[in-house]
Amino acid sequence: MTMSEASSAPAAPLLEIRNLTKHFAVRGGGVVRAVENVSFSIGQGETFALVGESGCGKTTVTKLVLGLEKPTSGEILFHGADLTKASSSTMHAYRRQAQAVFQDPYSSLNPRLRVHTIIAEPLMAHGIGDRSSQRARVAEMLDVVGLPKTAADLYPHEFSGGQRQRIAIARALALKPSFMVLDEPISALDVSIRAQILNLLADIQDEFGLTYLIVAHDLALVEHFSSSVGVMYLGSMAELGPTEAVFSAPLHPYTKALLSSVPRPDPDHRAPEGVIKGEIGSAMAPPPGCKFHPRCPFVIDICSTTPPVDRVLAPDQIVACHLAESIPTSSVPA
Amino acid sequence: MTDAALNPVPAPKPPLLKVENLKTYLYLKRGIVRAVDGVDLEVAEGETLGIVGESGSGKTMTSLSMLRLLPKPSGRIVDGSITLDGTDLVRLSEDEMVRDWRGRRISMVSQDPLTSLNPVFTIGDQVGAPFRYHKLAQGCGAVRRAVEAVLSRVRIPSPVKRIDEYPHQFSGGMRQRVVTSMAIACSPRVLIADEPTSALDVTIQVQMMELFRDLQRDSGLGIIMITHDLGVAAGICHRIAVMYAGRVVESGDVREIFRNPVHPYTRGLLNSIPHLGRKRRRLEAIAGQPPSLVDPPKGCRFAARCPQRMPRCDDYPPSFEVARDHKAACWLAESRS
Repeated sequence: MTMSEASSAPAAPLLEIRNLTKHFAVRGGGVVRAVENVSFSIGQGETFALVGESGCGKTTVTKLVLGLEKPTSGEILFHGADLTKASSSTMHAYRRQAQAVFQDPYSSLNPRLRVHTIIAEPLMAHGIGDRSSQRARVAEMLDVVGLPKTAADLYPHEFSGGQRQRIAIARALALKPSFMVLDEPISALDVSIRAQILNLLADIQDEFGLTYLIVAHDLALVEHFSSSVGVMYLGSMAELGPTEAVFSAPLHPYTKALLSSVPRPDPDHRAPEGVIKGEIGSAMAPPPGCKFHPRCPFVIDICSTTPPVDRVLAPDQIVACHLAESIPTSSVPA
Repeated sequence: MTDAALNPVPAPKPPLLKVENLKTYLYLKRGIVRAVDGVDLEVAEGETLGIVGESGSGKTMTSLSMLRLLPKPSGRIVDGSITLDGTDLVRLSEDEMVRDWRGRRISMVSQDPLTSLNPVFTIGDQVGAPFRYHKLAQGCGAVRRAVEAVLSRVRIPSPVKRIDEYPHQFSGGMRQRVVTSMAIACSPRVLIADEPTSALDVTIQVQMMELFRDLQRDSGLGIIMITHDLGVAAGICHRIAVMYAGRVVESGDVREIFRNPVHPYTRGLLNSIPHLGRKRRRLEAIAGQPPSLVDPPKGCRFAARCPQRMPRCDDYPPSFEVARDHKAACWLAESRS
C-alpha cells in the first residue's frame, strides 16, 4: 500500500465486503442491477476510494455499507461480524462507529436547527452525556474543524459552503466513530475552499485514527487522497488495488480510458481523441458478458458472451478483464 | 482558421466581441451587489476564451450581461460597453436584442441540460424554435430538415429517428448536445458556454470538448467558456481570464497563465488542486473565503487572503502587462511590466 506511515503490519480489515449484490425492483416489472457481486476490504486507518461514472453503483454501495439499504445478497463484515444478519442492537452499536459526510452541505444540514443541535443530535440519538457534556463536546468538535465556539448558536444559512461542510464533519465526528463514509465531500465546494476541507479530512484521520470510504469522481483527488481504489462500471468492480499501482499501471481498459479522459491543468496536454465511444449502458439491461464490452476499444469475441472473472495480475491488483495482459499501456498518460 | 483550432492563434486578430469596463450591479434588499465591477474581455473569431472563477466571482453575471438576460428587476448594467460586430449591445433596445442578436449572433449553452429542455415538447419542436422564430426556415418540412441537419452537426446518431423523441429519452450527454444544437442553430458569431461539461462524466466530457472544437473549426465561432475546472480550461481554451470578486485579476494566453501565473490568486488556485501523477502529502489551501460583494474591500479584493499582501494593496492595482498577451492586476506585477 501507499501509506508512507506504513502503519503496523497488515491488520485484519476493518470492513470487508463480500459478493455484495443489490437489485431494485422497478414498478411495472424489470430489475435494476445496481450492484453486482462487488467485493473489497478496507484496512484500519486506510482510505478506500470508489470511483466510476454516474450510474456505476458507487453510491448504492455506500448506502448498503451504512445500513441505509438492505443488500439482495452478499456480506458486509465490520470487525469480522456480518452486518447483513446483525440484530438491531448490533446495528445500533455499528451506527455509532460508522458516520457519513455527504456531498451537498446545503441540503445535508437542517436549516431550522442551530449548529449546536445539529452537532449534538447524534449524541442525543445515542443517549450520550447530559446537556453540559454535550455542549462541551460540541465546542470541542467545532474547535477540531476550525470553527469558533460562537458558531454553535447560529443557523446553517449564516455560513458559507466550506463552513457548512465543516459543520457536517463536526457532526460526523461527534460520536467519535472509527469509520467514515465520504460521499463526494468536496465537489459542491468552491475550488479555493476544496483544499482546506481535504486537508481537514486528512488531519482528523490522523488525529482520530479514522478509516475512510470515499466516493468521488475526481480522479486527481482520489489519487491524492486514497490508499486503495476500486473502479466500478455498471454495478461491477472492474479493477481494484493499491491507488499507486492502479494509477501508474492500470490494467482494465475502462480504468485506462477514465484516466486518460481526466482534463489536466496543462495547456500542452491533449486528451487522446475518442478514447472510448458511447455512453454507459443501462443497469436494467446490462450488456451480456463483460459489461464494458460495447465501449471497449480492445473487444474480442469472448467479451460479449462470458463475464470476466476477477484475476490478480499484480500484487493486490485485481482486474476483471479477459485480455488485461495483452493491452498496451501506451494509452496511459505519463 | 483551419489547423490552428487546437493552439493559440499567434497573429493578433481584431476582437469579435469586446467587453470594456463592464459594471453589472444587482439591486437587492440587502444592498447593492457589485457582481461585475469593471471587467474587460476580448474574444477573436475562432478563439475560445475561458473565464475561470469561483461561484460569486461574477463569471455568470458577465455572460448574462452579454446576452442582456440579467435577473429582473434587480440586475442592471450600470456602466461599460459590450461590442459585437461594431454594435454596442448595452445600448440596444430589448426589441432589437430579441430580433437580431440574442440566439441569432450571440447565444448560450447552460450548465444543466435537463432543466434547459422542456419535458413536454419533442426535441424537434424545441430545436426547431430558433429556426421558426428567426424565420430561417419556413414551413414544417423545411424546419424539420434544418433540425435534422443541426442535430447531425452536433453528432447525434440517427437524428431522423430521434427528432420526435422527448428529452427524457436522451442521456445527459445527448441532452447537452441537443442544447448545443439549439445554441448554434442560427450560426451565431459568439457562443457562451456556461459550465457545459460540469454535469457530465469524464468520458462524456471528452466527447463534448471534441464537439466544441469541431464546431469552432467548421464555423470560426468565438467561444466564451465559463468554468471552474482548470483542467477543462487548459484543455480547450486559447486564452484565459481569471475572475475574482467581480473583477478580472489575470488574463492572457493560456500557456502564459498556466506556466507563468503572476497573480497570487491564480497561483493559489493552481497549487490548491491535486494534479494527476504528482502526489503530495498536503495541498496548499488558500486561507479564508471570498469577500462580500455588497461591501467589497477598497483595495485589492484578494488582499485579505493573499500571502504576499503589502501596504500598497489598500489601493486597487491597475492591470499591468507582464508579457505579450498577459496582464495581471496585482502590485507584484508592476516591476515586471
